[in-house]
Amino acid sequence: MAVPAARLETKVALSPRGRRRALTDVLGRDYRLGLLFVSPIFALVLALVAYPFCYAVYLSLTHKLVGMPPIYVGLENYVRLASDGFFQRAVYNSALFTFGSVGFKLVLGMVMALVLTSQVRWRSFWTGVLLIPWVAPTVVSALNFLWIFDGSLGVLNYLLVKVFGILPQGVGWLSEPGTAMASVIAVNVWRGFPFFGISFLAGLKSIPAELYEAAAVDGATAVQRFAHITLPGLKNIVIIVVLLSTIWTFNDFAIVYILTKGGPGGSTMVLPVLTYETAFGAQRLGEAIAVALYLLPALAITIVVLARYMRRGRKS
Amino acid sequence: MKSAGASRSQLALCYAVLITLLVIVVFPFYWMVVTSFKSEDQMRSLTSMFWPRPFASENYGQLVSKTEFVNWYKNSVFVAVTSTLVATAVGTIGAYALARLKFLGRGFMASATLITYLVPPSILFIPLYAQIKALGMANSLWGLIATYPSFTVPFVTWLLMGYFESIPEELEEAALIDGSTRFGAFYRIILPLAAPGVLAAALYAFTQAWNEFLYALVFITDARLRTLPVGLASFITGDVYGWGYLMSGAVLTTVPVIAAYIYLQKYMVEGLTAGSVKG
Repeated sequence: MAVPAARLETKVALSPRGRRRALTDVLGRDYRLGLLFVSPIFALVLALVAYPFCYAVYLSLTHKLVGMPPIYVGLENYVRLASDGFFQRAVYNSALFTFGSVGFKLVLGMVMALVLTSQVRWRSFWTGVLLIPWVAPTVVSALNFLWIFDGSLGVLNYLLVKVFGILPQGVGWLSEPGTAMASVIAVNVWRGFPFFGISFLAGLKSIPAELYEAAAVDGATAVQRFAHITLPGLKNIVIIVVLLSTIWTFNDFAIVYILTKGGPGGSTMVLPVLTYETAFGAQRLGEAIAVALYLLPALAITIVVLARYMRRGRKS
Repeated sequence: MKSAGASRSQLALCYAVLITLLVIVVFPFYWMVVTSFKSEDQMRSLTSMFWPRPFASENYGQLVSKTEFVNWYKNSVFVAVTSTLVATAVGTIGAYALARLKFLGRGFMASATLITYLVPPSILFIPLYAQIKALGMANSLWGLIATYPSFTVPFVTWLLMGYFESIPEELEEAALIDGSTRFGAFYRIILPLAAPGVLAAALYAFTQAWNEFLYALVFITDARLRTLPVGLASFITGDVYGWGYLMSGAVLTTVPVIAAYIYLQKYMVEGLTAGSVKG
């Protein structure tokens, strides 16, 4: 089954192989093994992403109830959503959830990376432990926090009221509109900041030490060194990680679904949860997909920009 | 030049920050374990709050005997192991081709793989559900095995492309000059060198499949066929639920992932930073 690509090249002078040579000119030196090796990925991308995506766009232009054939209605779903207050609120909540989470993750991740590049001992121990939230099952973490945030028996209230005496009485962290959004953001930050930290750490390690030595000789302060060496050196990684996390956070379903299901009173209703509820609660599939696809232009731009940065990062 | 005192206080600050982060990261897991060993009474009366006295193992017994937990465990192992094998095999050969071989469409496929990795499940789960249903795989573990490659394969491929690119091309050329075929060079020279990367990628694929929630929630309706994340989450919507056995289930769900991670931490940390972002 192996393709003797190397042998092919050495024997191209012989006439029966001449046609083969023309093929390798057009299709590339290793076309046989190459096409064979990528064909499973090609099939998967087609069947599991490209086709479903096109089908999703089509369904969003229909009235589709579960178990019924779709009826084409053009842009009606989108037009209706534009003036739907609940949907508008979900867009706002999603933006708040995403930018709030990513902002805190950026700061905490930077702190984690800077601290881990200092002279501390057992660095791989700290790195290893701090990365645990990133590998642990999201659902388990969300359930842990659901229990920690519990209004009557939760340990957070116990600590704040009984142990430290900071609050006079317990707070219903997830059941009050004022604290629910902050609580789900906190859980997303808890789970996501280690990825920021570990990525920034890798970036910091690739900045040449000589730059810092030279700056120290020139009498630069720590702040100046951070602003003029660290930040420019990390720029690409920061852009990649922030964009990647923006996509992931914007589409995070499990944390919000388990902690609040979008409540109380829609105060944490984000778009992925609204999509799910519209599809499997209200059984309106066409409208549900319109909810999911509404911000597709923004998502597409983010993906294209991010993909460009990620590929460029690889080549350098 | 910095004085010794300043750098010592700086170091102390670093340790203070690290310990704070450590407490924040570890506390939910500590709390999960502690809760899993508490009796219903201990929890309701808020006694022996931070260390169960006495240890109650009844939660684990109830979890095994009164719920479908054992079935869910089997389902999760089956789905995660199968998807890991598929993703690792497909991703490894694909990544090698995209990183090393020259053929028409390579650049296009590399971009397509990366974009696929970035397309979120939240816009794919409804059409995928329709497809799975049309193929008669709704409410079956095969439906999950068929769809999980949509996120495991692009991730494994992208991660391993970085790994293959970091292996010097000369090694392969030497083998080719010695009369080896391309496939032979891949199989005998490159693959053994990439083994740590392949292992890390496989572990991440396993973790992703083990942790997956949205597809499993949507595609599976039969309670016996649930995977662990959906099963655990179903405890909070059911009529009878106790935090004790929910947390004991959470502990048992977390253990394999964390154990694998601790055992192979070095490769996983390196793999993640080499694969997903490389400056």
